Parts: sequence; structure tokens; C-alpha cells
Amino acid sequence: MRILLSVLVVSTSLWGYGEGVLYWTPHGCDEGKAVASKHGGHGKDESAMFALMNKEGNTSAALILPNLSEKSLPLNNNTVILPKPPMGGYYAMVAEMNTTNRIQSAVRYLSLHGRPAKVSPTSLTALSKTTLEIVPDPLHREHDRYTASKSYRFLLNFQGKPLKKATVTLETHNTPVQNYMSDETGAFTITLPNDFTDVRVGRSENKPSEFLLCVHYNEAFTEYTSTFSMPYYVNPNDFWQSQSWGGGAIFIGFLGGLFLYRRHKKQGVTRG
Amino acid sequence: MDKLLTVTALRRVIQLTAFFFFVYGAMIFTTFYTDDKLTQALPALSCAYDQSGGDYCALIPLQHQMDHRVSTLFTESSKVMEALMGTLITIGTVALLILILNKAFCGWFCPLGFFQETITMIGTKLGLTQLTSLSRETVTKIRPIKWFIFLFLVLIFPLLTGIGVLGHEWGSPFCSICPSRIMTTAMTGDMNQIYISQAGWGYFALSLIADLLFGLMIALALFVRQPFCRICPILPMQTLFKKIGLLRLVKNGDSHCNTCSNCVKACPMDIYEIQSQADNKNITHADCTLCGRCVEFCPHDGVMSFKYGPITILSSSKESFKKRTKIDKWWKG
Repeated sequence: MRILLSVLVVSTSLWGYGEGVLYWTPHGCDEGKAVASKHGGHGKDESAMFALMNKEGNTSAALILPNLSEKSLPLNNNTVILPKPPMGGYYAMVAEMNTTNRIQSAVRYLSLHGRPAKVSPTSLTALSKTTLEIVPDPLHREHDRYTASKSYRFLLNFQGKPLKKATVTLETHNTPVQNYMSDETGAFTITLPNDFTDVRVGRSENKPSEFLLCVHYNEAFTEYTSTFSMPYYVNPNDFWQSQSWGGGAIFIGFLGGLFLYRRHKKQGVTRG
Repeated sequence: MDKLLTVTALRRVIQLTAFFFFVYGAMIFTTFYTDDKLTQALPALSCAYDQSGGDYCALIPLQHQMDHRVSTLFTESSKVMEALMGTLITIGTVALLILILNKAFCGWFCPLGFFQETITMIGTKLGLTQLTSLSRETVTKIRPIKWFIFLFLVLIFPLLTGIGVLGHEWGSPFCSICPSRIMTTAMTGDMNQIYISQAGWGYFALSLIADLLFGLMIALALFVRQPFCRICPILPMQTLFKKIGLLRLVKNGDSHCNTCSNCVKACPMDIYEIQSQADNKNITHADCTLCGRCVEFCPHDGVMSFKYGPITILSSSKESFKKRTKIDKWWKG
């Protein structure tokens, strides 16, 4: 009975990831992967196809390049295929959907390899892309990744100004929704949950999961909603790496050095 | 105040400033992202794993290029320029930096070098018996290690990984054992780099070596000068270009030179060769970090000097020797 109840509670809380809000998610179909492999610039097994979830009628999508120029992304039903990346660096995928008294937006970043754009990614994140926006402060660095059990800071902007005391929700596939509130400067910090199941030993053995940040804000009879979605990865220190053993090894190395010191001191004394 | 104005004092100020920039730079300047880093190929151990750093060392791009780019010459029959372009840019940047400051990147800017020197100062103040110089035999035995590390851990193993001969853990093996990775990240409060990996024997061995080496380096630095610098693969990389460096150590020796050996005693890298007679000759050795201590501790006028191109910027003298010796005695109590 208890197990049944637990299953019911967990499934109720997990049901509805990204329910009713516009957000980006990778489309892992073979077509997307085939396009990515032809492009170059994408990582191994990455897809060039993304789906815009919960899209309705009046929706537009654009790709902001590392040099801050903008390209329209044609939507095929609710999917887009990224063009061949002309340069390396961070790209921002931005979508906006207008319905009666409701404006929804979705932002997602991706890092592609290629000749550097010579524009700081700080300029890309700082660029106002939507009316209501969740801005990573900073975005994870190139070659790095969002990782479970680590904390990340974000800023909330509304019409380019900090949005204070607003509630942001964090959703993942395996953890119930968590709420965060922005401070006086519009900043908030999240900790990504360690909620991976069936973890195998080794970085490349585990696929990433997705997290979704969502904020709602009402002004002048209009409801603004914005999302930020990105992949996050298993933290090796939660599974196959031991930090306490690492600390122990450092201590043993230190003791080895002290042993050499003792030997050196004895020899020094013998030499007189 | 004038009593404290020495090359070492100036070096300490520059080292401290460089340490803050290279370890905490992103907290003040916009240097968080890779694209924002100052050179992305620094000939000093400023670690890329430090998320707050102002720049990172040339060894990490070199290892990645060997693994992911140069290896494609063998695996995908890539065009030569396509495969080598990244490496050439990194090496070109290093050459340019060496041209400007030569091996002074080690003695004046390296965060790990400064960290070790600070620990040695602590060891001195704790009253630990200092090992003033390693024997010539020990130095001769240690010297080839850095070349081995440079050739195998920076170039060959990553290349073999890219080709598919070795596992992924050998893609950046030097970074996996580098004490700067642990030191710089720990200095920013990030302890994630201290670990023992159980992902496989290779990962296990590299993580164990890294931790043992870090602990050993700290203990050794309490009584030996610059323990890790002696095996650091940055030195061989710098040595490839040291001849074009505008900054250099020049000796115009006299008959006293074979007997005094003050320069060797002052040298933190125990370079015995610098005591040999030389006639206005560039004696910047492969192990030299251009710290300037030999110039400070040379008791003869104009024998040891730092030259930048044709200009002498620092020269040994009796007066500065007396002053420096006095400060050294005061410091050591």
C-alpha cells in the first residue's frame, strides 16, 4: 500500500514536465543527427533538430549567432533544423508565441565548434532577446556543462530591467518542481538535482537529462511567460569519483614529503 | 623603504598581482568564457579548470589539439593545414609570448610557481631546515623527467588517444596529474578536482598520481625550492623558443667565477652551469625561470645581467649584493 502511494505521489509530481509552457527540447531523431554530422561543429551524437514544445498559432523562432547577428528559424510543425554553423561559439535559440493576453518565450543556448566569432559570449547573454527573460549569469563555460549537484546563478529581466521577487520554477524529469525567488537584483541561484537513475561508470556512458526554468509575470492585463531549457549531466563526484579518497591521497603524498624532509634533516645533521 | 627595494620584492608584487589575475581574474574582468581569456596559450601553469581564471596555459589546447585535430591526419586523412592549424596558432602564440618575456613567465607570472615559493617562505618561517641546493647528480637525474612529461603526456599520449590506441583518459593526461589544476580550483573554493576516480585503471592511476603529487609538492616545497618546476613540461616548451626571447640572462664572467658559486646557491633551480666562465654570453638555461636571484646575489660588478634586446636592464654589483645578503639574513632570522 505504501509503495503504491509513493508511486502515486511521485508520478503525480512528475506528470506535466513543461506543461502548458513554450520550451525548446532536442529532437534526437536520426534525421537531426545526420544533419549535425554533415555540418561539423556539433558534438558527437548531437542533433541539429530541436522541437518547440506547446507551440500554438502565432509563433516565431530565431537563431542568434555568436557575432550577435540574427537568423530566422523556419518552423516545420513544431521542429526546427539548425543551419550549418558559420562560426564557433555560443548560439541562442529564441522563440516567441503571442496568444490573447499571453506572451510566451523560450530561450536555449548551444555551443558549436568553428572559427571563433571574436565576440564575448557575455554580449550574447546580455543581449535582450525577449520581453521577459531568464539570463544565465554566467552560462556554463565552453567545454564545460551543467552538472548535477552544482549551483548556478541566473538573472530575471523584464523589458531589460531586473525583475525582483518573482517566483521561478525548476523542473527536471525525475524531481518534483522546485521554486526559487529572485532577489532585489533579479538574481537567483539554483542547485541542479542529483536525480539520475541507472547511472553507469564513466562520463560518456551516461546521457544528459534536461532541466527547465520557468517564470510567469503579469503586467497590463498581459501574462508573460519565459522558459530556459538546457541539458545537464551526471556529476562524477556523486557516483564513481571519491573526494574523501582524493583528500586521503593528498595527505599520503604530504606524509611522503615529510618523510623525505626527515631523511634530509638526518643527513644534514650527520654531515654536521 | 629603499632597503626593501630589490628585484625579489618587485617580483613578489608582480607574482601576487599575476596570481590574482590568473586565478581570480574573471571575478573582476570579463574573462569567464574561453573566448575572453587573455592569450589562451600562456606559457605558465594557469589552469583552465579554474572557472574564475584570467587565462590558461598552452598545454591544455596542445593536448586537445593532439587528441582531436592532429590525430585526424591518421584517422580521417584530413588536410595537413586543417589538422595542424590549431596547434600552429597555439605554438605561434607561445613563441610570440616567449619573444616578449622569454622564460620570465615561470619566475614572474606562474601561479603554481608563486604558490610553491609562498610555501617555501612559510617553511623558512616555521624554522624547517632548508635544503639550499640539490646535488649536481640529483639535478642531472631529475632534468630528463620534464622532457619525458612534455613528449609523452602532452604530445604522444593525446595523439595516440585521438588515433584510438589509448583510452579517453589519456586525452589530456598532463592536466589529469597537474598540481595547478588542484591548487587553482581549490583557491577559488572549488574542491571538485580532488578525487580518486574509479572509472577504470587509467582514470584511477592518473587521479591517484595527481593527488599524491599535489600532497608531495606541498610537503617538499616546505624545504626544497620549486619542487614541481623542476619537472614542469612548460620548461621544455619554452626552451624551444628561448633563443628568440628578447629578455635573457647574460654573463660576462671573470676569473672569480669558478670559485664563488654564489649564483648557483641563489638559483632556485640549481643550475650549476651558470657558474662557469662566460664572455658576454647568453646563459639562459633550459631550466632557468629568469627569476633574477643570480643577478642579485652575484658580488661582482657587471658580471651577471638581465638584457632586453641590446639594453641592460639589471646588472650585478657589490652594493646590491651587500644589500640583498643583508635582507636575506634578516628574513631567515
